[in-house]
Amino acid sequence: MSKLVEKRTVDMQVIGEWVEPQSRVLDLGCGRGELMAYLVQAKQVSATGVDLDFARISACVGRGLSAYQGDMTEFMRAFSDRHFDRIICSRTVHELNDPAGVILEALRVGSTVTVGFVNHGFWKNRLDALLRGRKVRNAVYTTAWHESRPANPLSIADFEDFCSARRIRVARRAHLLGDWRTPCRVLPNLLAGYALYDLARA
Amino acid sequence: MPELAQAPASPHPRHLAGDDVGIVQARDYYHPGPFTFASGQAIAGFTLRYETYGSLNATRDNAVLICHALSGDHHCAGWHSERDAKPGWWNNLIGPGKAVDTRRFFVICANVLGGCQGSTGPSSTDPATGLPYGIRFPFVTIRDMVHAQKLLLDHLGVAELHAVMGGSMGGMTAMLFATEYPVFTKRQIIMASTANESAQAIAFNEVGRQAIMQDPAWNNGDYPREGGPRVGLAIARMMAHITYLSDAGMDRKFGRRKRESAGGESYTFDAQFEVESYLRHQGESFINRFDANSYLYITRAIDQFDPARAHGSLEQAFAPVQAESLVVGFTSDWLFPPEQNRSIALALLRAGKRASYAELSTDLGHDSFLLESPDLYALLRGFLERSEAYVFDFAI
Repeated sequence: MSKLVEKRTVDMQVIGEWVEPQSRVLDLGCGRGELMAYLVQAKQVSATGVDLDFARISACVGRGLSAYQGDMTEFMRAFSDRHFDRIICSRTVHELNDPAGVILEALRVGSTVTVGFVNHGFWKNRLDALLRGRKVRNAVYTTAWHESRPANPLSIADFEDFCSARRIRVARRAHLLGDWRTPCRVLPNLLAGYALYDLARA
Repeated sequence: MPELAQAPASPHPRHLAGDDVGIVQARDYYHPGPFTFASGQAIAGFTLRYETYGSLNATRDNAVLICHALSGDHHCAGWHSERDAKPGWWNNLIGPGKAVDTRRFFVICANVLGGCQGSTGPSSTDPATGLPYGIRFPFVTIRDMVHAQKLLLDHLGVAELHAVMGGSMGGMTAMLFATEYPVFTKRQIIMASTANESAQAIAFNEVGRQAIMQDPAWNNGDYPREGGPRVGLAIARMMAHITYLSDAGMDRKFGRRKRESAGGESYTFDAQFEVESYLRHQGESFINRFDANSYLYITRAIDQFDPARAHGSLEQAFAPVQAESLVVGFTSDWLFPPEQNRSIALALLRAGKRASYAELSTDLGHDSFLLESPDLYALLRGFLERSEAYVFDFAI
């Protein structure tokens, strides 16, 4: 398994531990459905994904998954409060046009919102910018700036500030070191490579 | 069990294509018992003309029902003879190894009740009078069409539908199969369709009906088989055909190009632009294959289709559905636009059903569901052939 694939599976396993069996899950930015397929198999969830890209929706459909091609905020607006048990926004939040709008709408439609993101406060990412003077490139962000989608990188400190400013309750957090495996106990904004949060309405 | 509707391969090369169903024959199913329509009116029996491709398996659960659109028919794949200019209307999709794989599935397509391609409709002879029914034929709803087709499927020995699929009115038919026969229908594919037409779509249908009914030859629906409101029907078809295309698609296909024969003579009302002669040709060929009264009945059935109104909401209408659903919209379809297709998928999801929505970017307008697109084929094949037990694969 490549380093990237390994990291992806770690991400899935943490989310898998948090997800209630047989719950109703919505995956925002579901891609080709890897996470949904894992959760359906490991936790027997009923999963729906949203993505903008036809090929990704087609891949989900071919895997037997339910997926919707369209804008995630417009999708969520079509549902009543707490329609979903859990809404997952894994490694998508940095690519959104209106991250706050998406998270707040997810908190309405879902009982719990799981957000996972790469911590750009991680020391290696800081060094990348500071010493090399270059856009961060690593096992996760493999592409040069001119081959990448627009991104809005955030750090753990940024995200914590956002949650307290918007009075969003953090029900659970997981900070993982650079290997995305070992829990990070101290100075997460500097030492954690990846962060996962379970959010709920205050 | 029905025999394979496939004759020995013809010497003509295009019928020999490895992924073509070849020469096919239509058959008639006669239902001898009385059939009562939603309106309460009844007929003593009815015929549905249909075609099948592939064969029903031992467990009788590999049937895929294809549902046609307003002006479509039962001939959706293969060729009727070696001299045919065109194959069935969904030949690009259906065949051995194609997206709807006839090596795997028993594919069935029937002309709807109320139609005019061999199924019982207003142009059929009323046994009570010995004359065509005309507008004495009972009003037909999409639900009546579905009920009649279910009787055909029972006759063919189909135990359950692997899938029901269709575009436009065919999507409405599929939708009702999944709600009327929830245990029987395992999958539904709804393409370029709507759960209720907009005022604009009803308006276009009404103009078509008026073109027919204002033609003196319509004569309140009483006209000889070879006659009738040919002018009105041709105009209805010309107008409707515009709604099946898109501005960009027409511009690409015709632009402002003029017919070669038009020469420099601008000061006449003869067809000068290619788009004019194309539409005139569409109108002309339609009157030779379609019955004006059927056009009235079927457009009326489409206009009245509104399961949300019948059940209080679309979610309630979809409450019995057990099928997995795939809804496909097309960006340039302004007759049944993407939003109307999205709302079908969203209502299914709100009702707690398994549903997907995919959207293809095309410039072919409403007719896009007939598109030759590898992306569309892959999507449909993936939905039809996915196995229930998916084994997780970490490959990205």
